[in-house]
Amino acid sequence: MLKIGHLYPDLLNLYGDRGNIITLKNRLVWRDMPVEVKTYGLNEDIDFEDLDILVLGGGSDREQLLVCNRLKEIKQDFAQYVESNGVVVAICGGYQLLGHYYKLENEKIAGLGVLDIYTEQGSPRLIGNVVVQTDAGEVVGFENHGGRTHIGSHTPFGKVLIGHGNNGTDRQEGVLYKNVLGTYLHGPLLPKNPQLADWLITRAIRRKDAEFEALPILQDEEEQLASFTMIERLKTK
Amino acid sequence: MNIIIAIWVAKAVMVVSRLFGKKGSSAPGAIALKIAPSILKVLSAQIKQEIIVVCGTNGKTTTNNMLGALLQKSGKKTVCNLVGANMVMGIATAFIDASDLFGKVDADFAALEIDEASAMIVFDHLTPHKIVITNLFRDQLDRYGEIDITMRYLQRALVKAPKAKLILNGDDPLTAFFGYKSTHACEYFGVAEDAYIARDEAKEGRFCTHCGSELQYHYFHYSQLGDFYCNACDFCRPPLQFAAINLYFSNGIAFDLKMGDSTLPIAVNYRGFYNIYNILAAVAPALLCGVSHEVVNAVLLAYKPQIGRMESFALQKPLVLNLSKNPAGFNQAITTVLQDPRPKNVMVVINDNAQDGKDISWIWDVDFERLNVDTISHFVLSGVRKEDVAVRMKHALIKRPRITMEGDLKLALQKLLSLKGEVCYVLVNYTALFETQNILKALEKERGNHA
Ligand SMILES: [Zn+2]
Repeated sequence: MLKIGHLYPDLLNLYGDRGNIITLKNRLVWRDMPVEVKTYGLNEDIDFEDLDILVLGGGSDREQLLVCNRLKEIKQDFAQYVESNGVVVAICGGYQLLGHYYKLENEKIAGLGVLDIYTEQGSPRLIGNVVVQTDAGEVVGFENHGGRTHIGSHTPFGKVLIGHGNNGTDRQEGVLYKNVLGTYLHGPLLPKNPQLADWLITRAIRRKDAEFEALPILQDEEEQLASFTMIERLKTK
Repeated sequence: MNIIIAIWVAKAVMVVSRLFGKKGSSAPGAIALKIAPSILKVLSAQIKQEIIVVCGTNGKTTTNNMLGALLQKSGKKTVCNLVGANMVMGIATAFIDASDLFGKVDADFAALEIDEASAMIVFDHLTPHKIVITNLFRDQLDRYGEIDITMRYLQRALVKAPKAKLILNGDDPLTAFFGYKSTHACEYFGVAEDAYIARDEAKEGRFCTHCGSELQYHYFHYSQLGDFYCNACDFCRPPLQFAAINLYFSNGIAFDLKMGDSTLPIAVNYRGFYNIYNILAAVAPALLCGVSHEVVNAVLLAYKPQIGRMESFALQKPLVLNLSKNPAGFNQAITTVLQDPRPKNVMVVINDNAQDGKDISWIWDVDFERLNVDTISHFVLSGVRKEDVAVRMKHALIKRPRITMEGDLKLALQKLLSLKGEVCYVLVNYTALFETQNILKALEKERGNHA
């Protein structure tokens, strides 16, 4: 049984993050593997010990601030979950929250600080379709962020082929740390990049069962068609 | 003098663009504003009674057109920007169109649909007497970044119109917030009973706009609309001066509009729950401006929803076209489709051109799962992003044999019409609307010639 925790979707659901949850869930269901999705409200306690995959989405600045205040209280547990190889998918605002801070024009939102990264507000917003070369192949998505994130010595999620990425300057996108994936790609990310969804699921299963080898293969014709069509369109522009 | 020249040049541009069959609606205004920056100020100042402005993310064109029709039917000369040219240049065009060659505007009212981001600019040129805000749904993510920014734009605009009366959607916490502890005079409209159409859907902005706590609802309609209240502060749905009650849905919509002690029965022959809000948003300012109950009834009964809003076409079978450009609009369209019990087929056309928003991640906030019912036998997908919609459908567990993908819009529509079923629904986003409509009109014409 895999348990997926969706953190604060009432606040962090700016860019169809629901698609990422639906995808993780369906890809387990389609393989007859038991799965449970638990959504957490802002004031609910999170039983980290019970969770296998944690999804943190993006929200507006106001909503992000609310989440941030709450996260401070669970910082310790969150960090421990990360250090014990818990799987985390953090997108956009959620990605920014993993770092030390998000510096706005006249205020500084403190993050969880579980990763040695930081974000500063920049202008203009970085908006558009993105293609990233990753270890899991070419990943396609959409970005829309004002923040410029600097990941220091951390490993990036991938190399930007098309689009802006973390900060629009170093051609890097996202971050990978243990089983944490932080990225600016929504689109949403997982429906069109099922290999990535499977990679996360595999990591979550292996954390509990080191012997686990590989997931049964699914027919991903629609997904491949959708990502292929977009990648081709972007490359021929 | 500059003003006169500006008017002549702009009018000449209008004539020329009409000759070439273009609906160029902002170009004349743009040129005139360059020649005479005060032209909009001068022309709009001549409105004898009131300038009414309609803002809001969904339904403002429908609302403003209806409001314009209500005022005109009452014998009031009204300047409208009917074509949906809702930024400062488009507004200028509307006034230039209404002016004579000497810069005289003979009109009692102006009913203007204004883009939320443009309102603060437009209000430097004209001073509205009434501002209607229909709702604030998430829309056009590319341009605004987020709904918060839209609200800040509107707030800035309202500061520039301190004397204007606000007519607000009281069911919408984001819209009603503009009246919360505001120095503006405010009146509210809304649906004052549980219509039992709520369901599990993507939540948008369901947090107290004042203190950020989660909002509670006595009852809930859709998106963030309903009888809301906050447990942590005193923000709640305000008393409704224009309240829809006794809702009844058949081939159309009927309800009673309750205003204090008086009640006005309203009936229209088109559907869609969201249309109640459009009607309320138009009728409330009209009644406040002295439009009679008789005129309201006459206009509403004769009113045809704007193009692409549940617009019907008579082909080999009835076909209904609807513009569905964001999650709230799309989920509403789905509700309307499901209210029709006939066996049917559904077509979805999604583009990602600049006017649509290049980001179509909102399709994941649309409850496609609800379309997975027996009364819908087949789906046809078209548009630039049909492959993405196919992935969304797959995750709504709609099986592949029930789906046809066809990039050619005309072939797709012909395929749809050839399927077994009594009625077709076509849900499209913005840039697909006009192309779809043109094809359907041509098909209608072809059919007429053969019949
Ligand atoms: Zn509150």
